[in-house]
Amino acid sequence: MGPGAQTISQYIDILAAMILVTAFLIVSSRSLTFYVRLFSLQSFFLAAVALLVAIGYGEMHILTAAILTIVVKVVAIPIVLNKITDAIKVRKEIDFTINVTVSLLICGGLVIVADSVAQPILSAQTGDTLGVSRVLPASIAMIMIGLFIMVARKKAVTQLIGLMTMENGLFLSGLAITYGMPMIVEVGIFFDILMATLILGVFMFRINRTFESISMDTLRSLRH
Amino acid sequence: MSIVLFSILLCVPLAASVYCGLETRRKRLETATWIASAITFGSSIWLAAAVLEHTTLSSPQGWFYADALSGLLALVVSGSSLVTALYSVGYFRRLAREERVSSRETRLFYALFNVFVFTMMFVLLANNLGFLWIGTEATTLGTTFLVALYDRERSLEAAWKYVIICSVGIALALFGIMLTYFSALHVVPSSANALNWSTLVSVAGQLDPAILKLAFVFILVGFGTKAGLAPMHTWKPDAYAEAPTPVSALMAAGLVNIALYALMRFHILVHRAVGGSFVSTLFIIFGLLSMGIVIPFVLMQRDYKRLLAYSSIEHVGIIVFALGIATPLAYFGALLHLVNNAIAKLLVFLSAGNIRLAYRSKIIHRVSGAATLVPFSATLFLVGMFAVTGWPPFGLFISEFTIVSAGFASGAIWESSAFIFFVTALFGGFIYYAGRMVLGPVTAMQSTGEADITTIILLTVLAVSLLVMGIWIPEPLRLLLHRAVLVFQQ
Repeated sequence: MGPGAQTISQYIDILAAMILVTAFLIVSSRSLTFYVRLFSLQSFFLAAVALLVAIGYGEMHILTAAILTIVVKVVAIPIVLNKITDAIKVRKEIDFTINVTVSLLICGGLVIVADSVAQPILSAQTGDTLGVSRVLPASIAMIMIGLFIMVARKKAVTQLIGLMTMENGLFLSGLAITYGMPMIVEVGIFFDILMATLILGVFMFRINRTFESISMDTLRSLRH
Repeated sequence: MSIVLFSILLCVPLAASVYCGLETRRKRLETATWIASAITFGSSIWLAAAVLEHTTLSSPQGWFYADALSGLLALVVSGSSLVTALYSVGYFRRLAREERVSSRETRLFYALFNVFVFTMMFVLLANNLGFLWIGTEATTLGTTFLVALYDRERSLEAAWKYVIICSVGIALALFGIMLTYFSALHVVPSSANALNWSTLVSVAGQLDPAILKLAFVFILVGFGTKAGLAPMHTWKPDAYAEAPTPVSALMAAGLVNIALYALMRFHILVHRAVGGSFVSTLFIIFGLLSMGIVIPFVLMQRDYKRLLAYSSIEHVGIIVFALGIATPLAYFGALLHLVNNAIAKLLVFLSAGNIRLAYRSKIIHRVSGAATLVPFSATLFLVGMFAVTGWPPFGLFISEFTIVSAGFASGAIWESSAFIFFVTALFGGFIYYAGRMVLGPVTAMQSTGEADITTIILLTVLAVSLLVMGIWIPEPLRLLLHRAVLVFQQ
């Protein structure tokens, strides 16, 4: 790795740290508006990592993924989510099943777990270590924190943000271990994510119309 | 030739969905859908014949691929689609007559039904495992609005739960696929085909076992969620119970097999790379857990559509258990069971749909004396329930018997004994409730009458084929099953 590559790799480390920080901020956030903005910021950092990998290491196929990240995750999905939360006049505070302090402690623990999952994968990278592989623990932590948000926060919008955080973590881990998936696969994945957001968005409207609130607490009539 | 075949299998359902999205006349929607399904089924027979002759088929750039396993699954899935498409005609006409469905909902149903068929065929024909993932996620997205078609509180809740749980599961599976790709890049020089099944299977022995073990755990949880393996099965009773009958039937007979197909592909790959009993043990544990966990829910069930959903979880468990035994006889049993289960699930879901239309309730104790009020549907339902619980002389008895003998022969004595115990306990539960519904005293409640003659003939054909499968497996099918078993072993 030349000195130029070294610098890029350092920038990527800093960005990965920022991405993880946004995930923690989402966990501690109390306002829905803030949730959406943080998600947009997180996706922006992610796109920056992808751009650095594309230009810095000459992996030009990632350029498409970087542009798609900006268009879909930084711009389109946040706009859709804001429209939804405005239109259905949802209460902007988050309902917690687990309070902020305990949540942050749990997420801290998840980072440690993520690191122990990542180590065997990193040690399998014989010889040809990629410049971004150091972000793997952070990316696995993101997947876990995303899952945690889905379990611990009750609003439909927060469940969707949790899912998207998981997806961001997946994208980052793909970059970390293989410089991303083949381009055509990556495009397909983005298409699925966009469709999922739109479908879940339509659902929030419908649930809102039927239940007059989109807290998942009201969705409890089905048991057994 | 292969390119023509692949194009027909993929483009016909896609074109039909576009057409149904633009068309409003009921008659045309019905015709377009069943004709498209019939063409897809016909082409699947052609596909099966082609893989019997040529072993594998591949499109020029290698995007699409088919062997005996995908040929068999295409036959099962497109056959189930054709049956459901034909059933939907009578079902939605009746709902429309009773003014219980709007024309907008009807159009949405037919358009999305074809999207659903397209996504399933896409998964079966994909060579690239990334495409397989994209297709599987698309099946979830395509079926969401089908589950929530009637826009009621409970169906919205069920659909939300379905799409969220399955999307999380499938996201975890993506991580597993990324790890597989990572491992393959060390062996395959070109990144363009490092995710292609045809490439991976030839280098499986050289892949890093430690990485593939980790990958497999994520893939099992991911596609297991989609298949409804316990403990990731919680969305299934809700979605199956709340979806319109044709949708639950196609989910139980088609979609389940799509997820099982993905699990089978990774089973072959990881089994070859890791060796030993790693994959088998996981499959046997999840299989038995899925069979055992449903027992209390079946024995204390109030809703007969949920009862059938639990039956689906049980049968996924049976198939996964058989794959875990991992001998040629067990693979044969698993695939035979997959075929039988698809036919039986169509029969019970669709006949239960008729009973539901007649009684306007899916609560078990409100349905009594169905044999008097809707004699044909009730008889077919009872026959289906006996078949589903593995009673001779129906096909599922033969396949379950094959699986259990393969289990004992391979030395898995305790596991196979548990299998027999679970199947027996569930038989009791299912037959008790089915018997009450069909043969119980006729209560004062009104019935809106029997289904139309076409539907009854369709269901009778299903019942007869289950009977035939119990006595004699048609020769071409037997050959296809044997060839599909070879895919596991080559």
